[in-house]
Amino acid sequence: MNKILLAAGVAGLALAAAQTASAQSIDYGSLQALFNEPVTTSATGSPQRSTRVPVDMDIISAEDIERSGAVDLPTILSRVAGVDVLAWSADTADVGVRGYNQAMSARLLVLINGRQSYLDHYGFTNWATLPVRLEEIRQIEVVKGPNAALFGFNAVGGVVNIITYNPKFDDTDFITVRGGTEDYAEASVGQTVKLGEQFSARVTGGYSRQDQWRNSVGVADRLIPNPERATLNVDTVTQLADKVELRVEGGWTHNRQAGFISTYSYGPSKYLTESLKAALTWESKAGLIQATAYQNNLTAKSEIASIDTRWENKIQVFNVQDLFKVGANHTFRVAGEYRRNETPTTPGHTAKIKYDVLSASGMWNWQVTEKFALTTAIRHDKLSLEREGDLAPGLPNQNAALWDRTIKETTYNVGAVFTPTDADTFRATYARGVQLPTLVDLGALQLVIPAAPGVNIAYVGNPGLEPTVVTNFGVGYDRDLPQIRGRAGIRFFVQKSEDIKGQPNSAQLDVMPTATSLPGFSYRNIGDSKLKGVEVLASGKYANGMHWNANYTYTDVEDDTLAAFDAATRYAAYELSTPKHRANLNVGWTNETWTVDGFVRYEGSKDLYYAAAVRPVDSFVSLAGRVAREFDGGVTVAVSGQNLLSERQQQTSGLKAERRLFLSVAKAW
Amino acid sequence: MRRNHINTYTSCALLVAATGVLAAPGAAFADPAKDLQVAGRALTFLENGPTGRATLGVVFDPSKPASVAEKDAVMAAIGGGYSAGTVTLVGKPVEAGGVAGASGVNALYVTKGVNYAAVGAAAKAKKLVTIGSDPACVGSGACVMGVTTTPKVEITVNRSAAASVGAAFKAAFRMMIKEI
Repeated sequence: MNKILLAAGVAGLALAAAQTASAQSIDYGSLQALFNEPVTTSATGSPQRSTRVPVDMDIISAEDIERSGAVDLPTILSRVAGVDVLAWSADTADVGVRGYNQAMSARLLVLINGRQSYLDHYGFTNWATLPVRLEEIRQIEVVKGPNAALFGFNAVGGVVNIITYNPKFDDTDFITVRGGTEDYAEASVGQTVKLGEQFSARVTGGYSRQDQWRNSVGVADRLIPNPERATLNVDTVTQLADKVELRVEGGWTHNRQAGFISTYSYGPSKYLTESLKAALTWESKAGLIQATAYQNNLTAKSEIASIDTRWENKIQVFNVQDLFKVGANHTFRVAGEYRRNETPTTPGHTAKIKYDVLSASGMWNWQVTEKFALTTAIRHDKLSLEREGDLAPGLPNQNAALWDRTIKETTYNVGAVFTPTDADTFRATYARGVQLPTLVDLGALQLVIPAAPGVNIAYVGNPGLEPTVVTNFGVGYDRDLPQIRGRAGIRFFVQKSEDIKGQPNSAQLDVMPTATSLPGFSYRNIGDSKLKGVEVLASGKYANGMHWNANYTYTDVEDDTLAAFDAATRYAAYELSTPKHRANLNVGWTNETWTVDGFVRYEGSKDLYYAAAVRPVDSFVSLAGRVAREFDGGVTVAVSGQNLLSERQQQTSGLKAERRLFLSVAKAW
Repeated sequence: MRRNHINTYTSCALLVAATGVLAAPGAAFADPAKDLQVAGRALTFLENGPTGRATLGVVFDPSKPASVAEKDAVMAAIGGGYSAGTVTLVGKPVEAGGVAGASGVNALYVTKGVNYAAVGAAAKAKKLVTIGSDPACVGSGACVMGVTTTPKVEITVNRSAAASVGAAFKAAFRMMIKEI
């Protein structure tokens, strides 16, 4: 950790003696107040008004989060157009954008203020391990489709960037206590402190627990423990000099949950995550220069196939970026990144799988005319893989040289935005993104499983697995509707994924036994898949305090699997597991004292795996809501609930989702 | 009969006169209060810009009713002090002819209809940032910044005008506005 801070300190400090503390990091609040709309940097790396970005993006505001009545991020995300959520247990869910959602989905990159919170060992986002409390989130930016040229590997289905309040500009102080059915209990606190003009910090923490959903799948109760979670987050901003600012964020989480592994079965898991990030921003004559360094540590214990596994994954990222304008109409971003990722093989920790990635990226935004802007972004990543140490005797792939491999990929995002009138926006985008094999795909998990008495088979990784390449083309149109203070929009998209990853299934052997090694089943590239779809959204707001928004997304997936494989056996039959339809309707009303919100969601039918079988899941409608009253002194009392229509509802192939009711008392000052 | 005729005629005349005042170019659609809010907030994005209490001179042409109306609306919007982030703006009406002699102002808000070239030149000599609600002002370089808020917020900065008064805006702000 000291090394990181030292590196950040050395990275180009121009110490000026001026006393005025001027702002360098993006002051989201002031810019949003200025332009009367949210502001984002998650489209191109350059700050932009949310209605002008060259990607399909939806932004969830802090008010949306508060009024959602939700207690976790996946529930809040489920209401965004095109987003699918698979809630496997009370505290475990996978989120996907525009199809291809799955257990331990690797296609969505999730970040907190630009720091990856996606876990690289299995390649998924464990929402319970994000160290942020809902109350400290300013906005959640959801980018749909690949945005790899900005964010790198794994930003293929979409990107969720969670932007928290900045202690320098925003004074966020709160305490929330919540109780609910099924013994739900939660406490959440946050406090911002300022020391003079130079230093500000926000500290937040919280704890929650609840009873697990009823065991409707007949597994041993120990596999689906009651979830429990604690988080701590520290965010500090120090003004080092007039134009130089240092932001240091540290997070810690510890939780227990009923995990659902990528091959669709429950396994109790405990996670401990620690993260530390330092970002130095310097408003120099050469542009806005930012140097970032962060490290994420993960320790996790899971029971997989009755075997205790222990994970340790460390990632280190160093990134330097310069954002500058040339003339009146050209904005450029150039960046370089180094990333190091390593994990010992599990169980046993006899070997270590690691890779280094070197990347260079550039972005050019050209305001061609007053009404037309063109953005081109390109990134090149070079990954060097290696394995250190030996695998346990009897396992296949003993030769470490199988891991000596380089993966080089170029990704890009091109977008055009045309605004012929003040009310109309047309957008066209073309993107190429790459989903990297995860550390587990590449051999971090090496299990010996008894297939029959005296017969063992090995669950192994595939060091030669190819990355999945996703190309996406989309067009969109948005129209402002001032008469209803709203907007309406439609987006069409077609997407192709090549070299889809098929997961191991003991029904199909991939590695033949030899005199010295067991037969193995592993990860393989099984073919391609195509997607086309349309998304329609609209919203309105009225002077009487009412507002509504509605969206519908249709997706049609067609798998093109190689003859040697069966997609369903490999848990990769996306045309079966992706529902064709999903729709949301939110209606709300407020009069500054009372706030009432209702959320209706419809999801079409799909076929999902569970313990090596495919189960049909019927379409369903779910209802959530919240009623809140604000009292003097910043106190809000709220009653909220989710899955209100039935006590238990089959929304996935796993546990039935349960109706939950909550009572919250919150104070903000 | 004759009296009714005269009354009708008078009513019509009054109606036409009233419409003439209300339908002055741009005034029917612009919102001076919103324009002022955006202008005030935009000042906080100046490098080494004003902090604390600052005076915004509202430049108007007393011979032009539309300009006077806009000045009145802006002064009303400022009220006892308009708070924008770290800056609290107080307003001070300044006649267009008196810009050269104006004192104690940190920036100028230029209403529609004044002689932009003359006001701009006087402001440049005093190194004052000029913000105008008429796109023609910033387009000609007489104003450093142009602000419109209906139907959407649009901010334009004239780079050469900004350079000539020594005004530099923060990088994030510059990337989000139109520069000419």
